[in-house]
Amino acid sequence: MGLFEEPLKDIRRYLEEKRSLGKAREFSYTPVLPRASSPQVILSEDTGLELGSPGTSSRSLLLWDDSGAVADGRITLVGPDFPEIGGGRAPLAQVVMVGGRFSDEYDCYRDLRDATYNLGLLGFMTRVLPGRQSVWCRISREAMARGFNAQVLGSALIQAVKSLDFVDAAEVLLVTSSPEDIEELSGAADLVQEIVEALIKMYEEMNFDCDTCEYVEVCDSVVELRRIRERLQAERGGGEVDPG
Amino acid sequence: MNQRTVVAVCGKGGVGKTTVAALLARLLREDGRRRVLVVDADPAVGLGMALRIFPPRTVNDVRKEIISTVREHAADQVDLAASVDYKMMEILEEEGNLAFLSVGRPEEEGCYCQLNMLLREAIEFLSSHFDLTLIDAEAGVEQVNRRVMRSVSHLLLVSDVTAKGIKVAESIREVAEEAVDYRKLGLIVNRVRDPEEARAVCESTVLPLLGFLPEDETVREFDAGAENFLEIPSSPALEAARECLLASGFLSS
Repeated sequence: MGLFEEPLKDIRRYLEEKRSLGKAREFSYTPVLPRASSPQVILSEDTGLELGSPGTSSRSLLLWDDSGAVADGRITLVGPDFPEIGGGRAPLAQVVMVGGRFSDEYDCYRDLRDATYNLGLLGFMTRVLPGRQSVWCRISREAMARGFNAQVLGSALIQAVKSLDFVDAAEVLLVTSSPEDIEELSGAADLVQEIVEALIKMYEEMNFDCDTCEYVEVCDSVVELRRIRERLQAERGGGEVDPG
Repeated sequence: MNQRTVVAVCGKGGVGKTTVAALLARLLREDGRRRVLVVDADPAVGLGMALRIFPPRTVNDVRKEIISTVREHAADQVDLAASVDYKMMEILEEEGNLAFLSVGRPEEEGCYCQLNMLLREAIEFLSSHFDLTLIDAEAGVEQVNRRVMRSVSHLLLVSDVTAKGIKVAESIREVAEEAVDYRKLGLIVNRVRDPEEARAVCESTVLPLLGFLPEDETVREFDAGAENFLEIPSSPALEAARECLLASGFLSS
């Protein structure tokens, strides 16, 4: 059983449906050379394309799987590719699915998240709002002219997470088609958010008092969270283990 | 740019500091070659008025939002920093090569030291991605030094021809010697009516002079009519401000 088993099932169903409708296309990973040393600021007048900006639909999800089900190097795009959008703005969902070994869940989550925050692509600005799962990207005119597309972004994300030694495989889903298509991911997204918040609370606050915790229902429904809670309690000499 | 250029326009209240900052912003907009972050750090939000830029949200609003988020959701420091970064970018109002940030009204009661540190660092982070940051500061250097910008590289002191204005400018330099690790400092004297007044100022201060801005009917009209200083036509004060920018090395001819 994995921490993100349920939302991953939802995303797999989503992918199957889009494929069956002919709305998905696939690219394969090609290595990308990061060329910017730190996150950039791209102003409107230099922007060739804006994705997921405030006021438009935006989702950013990061999930992992330890059952070997991640299709390594696969980039799936639902909607037009960046050059096909033709400038202006578009919604964006960015889903990064990672396969590997996640012995310390919280550290793994932080490392993966840091990797996806800091892609270091020249001509690419990304800002994230973790609490709202929002990702806002600006691609400069120059970068668009150089051919920046979904394959480049997907490859950069895969490359970033695969630089971590506990990651064996990575797969990316990008959605640019419509707010409705992105909204279809909201069930999975909400669950991911709850799981991550419960995980953060468990590790940072070391709070094992289930009677007062607002995430008790999440822990009760996600077996892996219960296992983590019990392990942390044992490690930190907590009180009685709640059998859940 | 290898070294961050953060210009703080300081001076006594009422000497035309905000007008000078607006004229400098106008020149940097016209120059267009560099990306400029303009920060209205004066709680009176006069620079936004002068440039006709009215951000719907300010840094102070972001501060309150972050506090609210922390109270409602679990978030670690990295998430918090990312949120601040996102929200700071979100509240930037853009005008060509200028990006405008309003710090907003004074803070409420209560201690949010960690959060203020995050915000300050976010502003510093933002400024590192611009060629030049221009801050219209509150009177005195306290705000620039402690609450908004830790490291101002260039202090532009603004005064009118009055002894009081000059004295305050000199006091600011004294404070800055201890508190700000600046690289360059200069005085701009505003609303000078004739060469005699300019000469008198020269004789009354040891502050290094960047230039004199004359009394200017066009500036008065723009001030009175709350017109957009980004659109002010060539006028004696604007051209004198251009000379000051050239003298300070921020604008090449």
